[in-house]
Amino acid sequence: MAPDLTVVTTAVAVPFVAAVLAPLLYRVLGERTGYAGAAVAAASFGLLATQVGSHGTVRSPWIPALEVGLQFTIDGWGLLFALLASGIGVLVFVYSARYMHGESGLARYYAALLAFMGSILGVALASDLVFIFVFWELTSLSSFVLIGHYTEDAESRYSARMAMVVTVGGGLCLLAGLLVLAVAARGALGGVTFDLAAMLANDEAMRASLRESGLFVPALALVVTAAAAKSAQVPLHFWLPNAMVAPTPVSAFLHSATMVKVGVYFLGRVRPLMMSPEWVLLVATLGLLTMTVGALLAVAATDTKELLAYSTASHLGLMVAGFGFDVVYGGEAGTFHLLNHALFKAPLFLVAGIVAHEAGTRNLDNLGGLWRELPITAAITGVAALSMAGIPPFNGFYSKELLFEATYEVAHEAGGLAWLYPGVATVASVFTVVYSVKFLAMFVGERRAPIADIHRPPLALVGPPAALATAAAVVSVAPQLAVDAIVQGAVEATATGKAHLEVGLPTHFSPPVGMSAVAIVGGLATYPFTERLAAGIGRGVDAPIPVRPSGWYDCAVSTATTTSARFGPLVHNGLLRTYVFWVAAAGSVLALAGFAATAGVPELDVVGVPLAVTVVLVVAVLAGLAVVTASSHVAGVLTLAILGFMIAIFFILASAPDLALTQLVVETLVLLLFLLVLQRLPSFYADVRPLVLARDAVLSILVGAMAFASVLLTTPGPDADPSSVAEYYTAQAVPGGGGSNVVNVVLVDFRAFDTLGELLVVTVAAIAILVLVTMRIRGEEAVTEGEEEPVSDGGDLP
Amino acid sequence: MRTTARVTVPIVLVLSISLFLQGHNLPGGGFIGGVLTTAALVLIYVAYDLDYLESGVLGQEVESGTSIFEHRTVLAYRRTLLLGLLVVFGSGVAGFLVGDPFLTQTYVHLEGVPIYHEVELASALVFDLGVFLVVVGSLLTIVSVVSAE
Amino acid sequence: MSVALAVAVGGLFAVGTFLLLRRDLVRVVFGLAVVSQATFVYLIAMGGVAEGARELVPVLDTHGGGVPEIADPVVQALVLTAIVISFGTTALALVLSYRAYEENETIDVTEWVR
Repeated sequence: MAPDLTVVTTAVAVPFVAAVLAPLLYRVLGERTGYAGAAVAAASFGLLATQVGSHGTVRSPWIPALEVGLQFTIDGWGLLFALLASGIGVLVFVYSARYMHGESGLARYYAALLAFMGSILGVALASDLVFIFVFWELTSLSSFVLIGHYTEDAESRYSARMAMVVTVGGGLCLLAGLLVLAVAARGALGGVTFDLAAMLANDEAMRASLRESGLFVPALALVVTAAAAKSAQVPLHFWLPNAMVAPTPVSAFLHSATMVKVGVYFLGRVRPLMMSPEWVLLVATLGLLTMTVGALLAVAATDTKELLAYSTASHLGLMVAGFGFDVVYGGEAGTFHLLNHALFKAPLFLVAGIVAHEAGTRNLDNLGGLWRELPITAAITGVAALSMAGIPPFNGFYSKELLFEATYEVAHEAGGLAWLYPGVATVASVFTVVYSVKFLAMFVGERRAPIADIHRPPLALVGPPAALATAAAVVSVAPQLAVDAIVQGAVEATATGKAHLEVGLPTHFSPPVGMSAVAIVGGLATYPFTERLAAGIGRGVDAPIPVRPSGWYDCAVSTATTTSARFGPLVHNGLLRTYVFWVAAAGSVLALAGFAATAGVPELDVVGVPLAVTVVLVVAVLAGLAVVTASSHVAGVLTLAILGFMIAIFFILASAPDLALTQLVVETLVLLLFLLVLQRLPSFYADVRPLVLARDAVLSILVGAMAFASVLLTTPGPDADPSSVAEYYTAQAVPGGGGSNVVNVVLVDFRAFDTLGELLVVTVAAIAILVLVTMRIRGEEAVTEGEEEPVSDGGDLP
Repeated sequence: MRTTARVTVPIVLVLSISLFLQGHNLPGGGFIGGVLTTAALVLIYVAYDLDYLESGVLGQEVESGTSIFEHRTVLAYRRTLLLGLLVVFGSGVAGFLVGDPFLTQTYVHLEGVPIYHEVELASALVFDLGVFLVVVGSLLTIVSVVSAE
Repeated sequence: MSVALAVAVGGLFAVGTFLLLRRDLVRVVFGLAVVSQATFVYLIAMGGVAEGARELVPVLDTHGGGVPEIADPVVQALVLTAIVISFGTTALALVLSYRAYEENETIDVTEWVR
């Protein structure tokens, strides 16, 4: 079944439309906007659900010349991610409506949340690289707005900026990587294209093309860096815990279930394209490292949301590692865990929100025995946390088991150092069990600190996590059901070869089962020593800056801030000549450097133009020099007029009567205007400081040299053929434009739009002059002289 | 000075209009016609003053004492400017009626017209008229406002 | 590849830049005008300059005739618009300097810094 372009486009567009309408909706519905958002998410979900089972690419062109178009590819992987995002979206909106009760700035909150959902659907379904990039950055932007939701709070603003810098910085790497891919497509697909679906279909050719041009490793590094920044992989993981200052629904939605998975998603997407030994080394190592570090930091965390944030980073590492391995199990682990993680992590965040809401604290040390007051919440947490720990028969176990099988298989084949893979994975899983139990512990046992009365949470708060936990339970009981419904399609889309996913509880002993057993037993055995462990990890975290990536971030940001604060006044000091100086100098040097680097020495023709032209131009330059040395303004104007008339004669000699006529008349008018204005201005005497004069002269000569070089390099020789544009216009003037004056036909017919713009410029100039002269009279009537800002000198603004 | 102006201004005006009309086929066009017309009218200012066009040529009363912004001649120039812009946009939008993109130009041959026998009418001429009006309007606004100072 | 043209354009740009860097505002406006003129010459030079002749004027003889070799009409159209625009900008710059003088009572740009 081929997908339907209209349905898919609508599903992606509806959240954006709703985002634009959100402020309006909020005015009408108030806090019930959350339910409207849920309806929008449900609509997208429903539309996408109709596409399950379809497979293919639909496209509507946007910039045909560059092969850029709105292109959606529907396959299991994209649909799994999109359905997950919109499905969890429904629940998060319902939860938000209640959770965000009484908060301010809700119109912005819902608008950003809806825009985010639209962008995530876009990332999941688009297969045009340009659109993928745009949607990718849109998710970063909406995440920025949502993390910085509490705009009054300095920490919130700091965290939002940090998330923005890291993820958008990663986005820039993605852009570069995508451009490299597009360039490589020239060799592989016979033309620059941004069509990712076509690249994936010809992955052999693409790899060969990338290797041939030596761009394979750079492209790989760029794409992985982008994904690592987005998916909080070590060492770019530090923004994720900080992002937890966002409202809890945002953390559940963006920073556990969807946005942070965009990087994982994209790695899965390009996995078939980039699979290679380098990929395995880079991605698998990165993933396992993050898995371990994230789990360790989660064990040390004391805040519920902080624990979940580090645990998210750790599980993202699991998925990344899965995609890193070049075995069937690896891709299966990545895809299946994407679903499972969303099903257990999102409810855990929502539970954390409920606990913070009802018990008033997020500190794990103070929480315990909550099951009495919050029995349903405790049950939800039980399912989700055990799933997170990977305890059979909960759903997290199946995907983790797949990763163990992948690591074991790789190690078994490669041997040697590759045995580190299963080892590290098992160690990380031990810590995963530890922090899962730690999180669960706040519900069991005895009360640790006196907490004032705890309310029963309302249905709108318990419903969404309960729904997710139920889904997790269903997947736990009947994993093959979920696999057949959607995961199998995702596995096929991300696999490098044929893959058929079969999951179920292990029936006999195998090394991976042993790894799981070690992880669970080890974790339970380690749990009693959690505090000592946490203290040890804490000492590591508080180590001096060189080992803390967030320290590097702070250092880089503050250095950039201070440098630009110093640099700004140096270049923009309010003096017109300083501005001109830097712009002209930088432009000339860059242009000259460019010429020097690329252009050879042109064939020189000493005169190259008729004698008359030479004479006229010499007079023009002399007139220009006379303008500089003119002793008074009037003399300057007159010499300027000589220059203008010489140019007019030059036009005649260059066979351009239209220009000559216009130039003559305009020159006359300019002369008149100058004379009119000059009689009102005082005379002024030129600089006398020789140093300044010398500096300006050097710059002038530099600019002149730049102009000289560019004329030499860009103008055609006397015998050159006319350019194709000129030829076309000349040939088409009579048949196409109905006029024999080619210049006029170009102006009013072929390039009429440019002429229109030019007329607007002249009009704006006229209006500006009118306003400058006449409004002053009004202005003086209205305000006193001293308060009026001089309109003309932008330079004196601070 | 005034004598010269009396003689030259009509000639320049006629010349500018002829340049404008022939612009599609011979040197000329809206820009040149526009600046030349401006030059002719500026000559009147230099020789006479801003009110002359109204009082001397059109024989109307001139209200004195208003600021340059409300000056009727300047007002007229601004209207010219506006009219020109409207003509330019109108000629662009007119293409929509027959389903062409914005600013598509076309032309027709008219045959059997007296004297000329064959006249070619290009829709671009309308656009050029707009160009002419905008140039005249804006340049005269500039010059008259500045000179009034 | 005419050195004479290049020298002329380079010279005019140099003169224009030098004027733009003056303290005297009127000379800055002069500089603007000179740079505009230099740009015209540059643009025309891009189309190539040959011996001026009746046949090279970009006006075709008859309707439907062959396409003769003429001077580049595109650059001429560009310059024609450039001339009118540069008039607009020069006039605007002049009026701005006049108003700036009225407000600041000086046309020395270095004295505007507060």
